[in-house]
Amino acid sequence: MPFNKNNPVTVQVLGICSCLAVTAQLKPAVVMAISVTVVVALANLIISLLRNTIPPRIRIIVQLVVVSMLVVLVDQVLKAYVYDVSKQLSVFVGLIITNCIVMGRLEAFAMSNPPLPSLCDGIGNGLGYSIILVILGFVRELFGSGSLWGYPVMESLGFYNFGYENNGLMIMPPMALILVGIIIWIQRTRNKDLQEN
Amino acid sequence: MKTFSNRYMFIYSAVLVAVTALILSVVSVSLKPRQERNQAVEKKQMILKAAGIAATPQTAEQLYADNIKEVNILDRDSLPAYLYETSCIIPVRGTGLWGPIWGYICFNENWVIEGAVFDHKGETPGLGGEISTDAFARRFVGKSCTDSLMTRFVPIVLKKHADPGSLHEVDAISGGTMTSNGVTAMLEACLSRYEEYMLTNAGTELPSGE
Repeated sequence: MPFNKNNPVTVQVLGICSCLAVTAQLKPAVVMAISVTVVVALANLIISLLRNTIPPRIRIIVQLVVVSMLVVLVDQVLKAYVYDVSKQLSVFVGLIITNCIVMGRLEAFAMSNPPLPSLCDGIGNGLGYSIILVILGFVRELFGSGSLWGYPVMESLGFYNFGYENNGLMIMPPMALILVGIIIWIQRTRNKDLQEN
Repeated sequence: MKTFSNRYMFIYSAVLVAVTALILSVVSVSLKPRQERNQAVEKKQMILKAAGIAATPQTAEQLYADNIKEVNILDRDSLPAYLYETSCIIPVRGTGLWGPIWGYICFNENWVIEGAVFDHKGETPGLGGEISTDAFARRFVGKSCTDSLMTRFVPIVLKKHADPGSLHEVDAISGGTMTSNGVTAMLEACLSRYEEYMLTNAGTELPSGE
């Protein structure tokens, strides 16, 4: 299952770069998660449909063209409908093209499986990535900025009156790496078969 | 594994690229009006922010229409400015390290900076990209680009260890020297064109009309 025992981020350790960059707040993290899921799912579907016609010698190029097209589409749609978020995501939407999860699923699964399973595989892996992004975005925005989805949770609960302060480290990228590490730690403690000797 | 001829590969890639290009052009053209509207709203939001008015994308157009007046200085098309009460907001644009940078500088009637905003297309996040943060923009407040007697134009310079007492020095961004130099060049190139206007209108009310 790509959610837990084969999670692309915590088990395969792919797509870490964007995990660190876009998760300082929940909203961009969710938009990024949706974007990646859409791109992986559709790229898997298209490549799977074309898989018998693609000459093996140029297959990586073909995959890249398809992925790039989807990413540019997503980027254009974001710019038209959620302009402020697309500015926050900046270069990281474009960098979905080089996200190892996408190419990894195309090579490992879509090239040798029929369209429907490929689509499901793409959605599954996209969601596995999304779970981690949403957890990181939730924790980092709540403790780093004291808000969720821009809504000032900590302030409305009155925590500041008791001397509570936001943790500035939470909004720095290294904290995302530490949080990913903690998630991996918890996950491996609970799943003995993930532990390496 | 099936083998494919070179000819097949060439035709295959040509068709694939053509189809991709077609899809992308159709989408790009059909989404263009919405994107341009977003950019126009963002520009108004930036001008309002330079003037010290907080605006969301929803309220920006109304606030802008109510408060800001667009004029051409000295009747020249190439010298646009935006008036807000007694302040004058001057647009600046230039080049950073990787692409265009731009901003709006809000001056009071004595040509002292009251507010500034900057933005960029592709500066490195965390380094040169810091110019779009409020913390960077606040460094400009209280600076001026005329000398204290308002007799001549003095460019504002971004530099390391800037003298906090100086009217014309602003702390540069560490790790973003190239972008900081771009900001310095942009401010000098764009603001110097307003020199005549600044010196002749120093200390007086700005024209309220055209």
